[in-house]
Amino acid sequence: MLHVQNRELVVPGQLLAEGGYVIRQGAFREGSRIYSSVVGLADLHGQEIRVIPLQGRYIPKRGDVVIGVVIDTHYSGWILDLNSPYVGNLFVSDLLRRKVDLMREDISKYLDVGDVLVAQVKDVDELMRVQLEAGEPGLGRVEGGKLVEISPAKIPRVIGRKGSMLNTLQSVSGCRLKVGQNGRVMIWGDDQRMVNAVVEALLMIEREAHTSGLTDRVRAMLEKLKSEGGE
Amino acid sequence: MEKPERLIVDGKRLDGRAPDELRPLRIKAGVLKRADGSAYVELGRNKILAAVYGPREMHPRHLQQPDTAVLRCRYNMAPFSVEERKRPGPDRRSVEISKVAREALEPVVFLELYPRAAIDVFIEVLQADAGTRTTGITAAAVALADAGIPMRDLVAAVAVGKVDGTIVLDLTSEEDQWGTTDMPVAIMPRKKLITLLQMDGHFTGEEFRQALSLAFKGCEQIYEAQKQALRERYSVKREEGE
Repeated sequence: MLHVQNRELVVPGQLLAEGGYVIRQGAFREGSRIYSSVVGLADLHGQEIRVIPLQGRYIPKRGDVVIGVVIDTHYSGWILDLNSPYVGNLFVSDLLRRKVDLMREDISKYLDVGDVLVAQVKDVDELMRVQLEAGEPGLGRVEGGKLVEISPAKIPRVIGRKGSMLNTLQSVSGCRLKVGQNGRVMIWGDDQRMVNAVVEALLMIEREAHTSGLTDRVRAMLEKLKSEGGE
Repeated sequence: MEKPERLIVDGKRLDGRAPDELRPLRIKAGVLKRADGSAYVELGRNKILAAVYGPREMHPRHLQQPDTAVLRCRYNMAPFSVEERKRPGPDRRSVEISKVAREALEPVVFLELYPRAAIDVFIEVLQADAGTRTTGITAAAVALADAGIPMRDLVAAVAVGKVDGTIVLDLTSEEDQWGTTDMPVAIMPRKKLITLLQMDGHFTGEEFRQALSLAFKGCEQIYEAQKQALRERYSVKREEGE
C-alpha cells in the first residue's frame, strides 16, 4: 500500500509504503514498512520505489563517468579528486590499456598534477576505495574547455530524459559538453560568449532543477543570448 | 535581574504562556550558501544556527573509521550570546554539550554508508535564553537533512522542568535559574525513542513520568515544524520557477 503520491516531496522518516516494494534509492525498510531517508521527490514505478535526492555529495558508483582532477602521482599511477568524500585511483595500465614496464618507462609524461580527465569508475570496494579507468574512446585527459562544478544531485537534470536537456544545450549553443556524474561539466566551444551562456544555463538548471518545463526555458534563454549577437 | 516573587501567577508563566506551551518557534532550512546543509532556529529569544559539512574526507587520517563515517559535533556559544560576555572558545560546558548533541544525532544518521568519511556539525548559539542544547539539536537535525545525508528520522528536542512546583515545558532562562528542575530531552519522534536525557534538580517518579510525557508532546510540535521547514525550502523555489 502506498502512502505518498508520485513526485511528492518527502522528508527523512516519512512513511512511503507498506508491503513488498523494491527499494532503488533514498529509502529504507523496517519490517514491511518503507520510509524515506532523504529529502527528495518520491518516484514510484510499478513495484519500484525511489526517492530522488535534492541535495548531497557525489558517492562513486561502478560504471559512472566522472570528471576528475589529478591531485597526486605515485610510481604506478595517479590519485584524482572526484568532488566527493572519496578520491579515485587510476593506474597507468588503466589509462593506456597496455602493460607498462615501470622500470623502463617514466609515467609522468602521461599525466601531471592539475590535469583534468574524464574517467569511468571501474570498481568501488566496500571500503569505498575507487578504481578508475580512462582508456576507452571518449575517456582520458581533456584539453582546453571550461570546467564547471554544480551540485551532483542536479546532474540527472542536466542530462534530461533520454539526454534531451544535454542535446538542447549542445545544439542551441554549438558547444560540446561532457557531463560527469560527480557534478562536473566540461564545455568546449569556439564562441566564448556561448560557452559563458552554457555556464549560465547550467547554473539555472541547478537553481530550478525540481521545476517542470525546464528544458524549454533553458532553450529560450540560450536562444535569446545567441540572437543578441556579438556586441 | 532579581528573582521574581513567583514564577507562575494564576496558572500563567512570566511570559504569559501556559505550563504546557512552547515559546514561538521558527525554523528555516538552507540559510548558508557555502555549507552542505544548514538551518536557523528561533525558539523564543534563542537564536541558533546549525551548519553541516560532508560527508567529506576525514582529517586527521588516524581518526578515520574503516567501516563507517564519523559524526563530529561542535556546540559553540558566541561571546555576545549571553548577558555577561562569554569568554570565547570551548569550555567544560560546551565540550559536554558537543558530546551529548553528537550522541543525540548519531542514531538517526546512516553513518555506515560512508566508510572513512566525516560529517561535521556546527551548532552556533547567537543568542541564548535557556534550552540551547535542545534547540541546537533541533537545528542540527534539520541541517543534516538539508545536506542530503540519509537519516532514519529527524531528532526533535525540548526541555521540561519544575518551576514553583508545576511541571512546565520549554523553560526560559528565568525559569531555569530559579526553578527547581531542568530536564532536556531529545527524541526520534517516529519511533518515540529517546536519544538525549539529562536532568538537573530532582523529580519524584510521578513527576518524572509526567514531565517526560510533556516533553514528548513538545517534541511532536517541534517535529512538525522541522518537517514543514524542510518542505518549505523546496516548495518556495518551485513557485519561483513557474
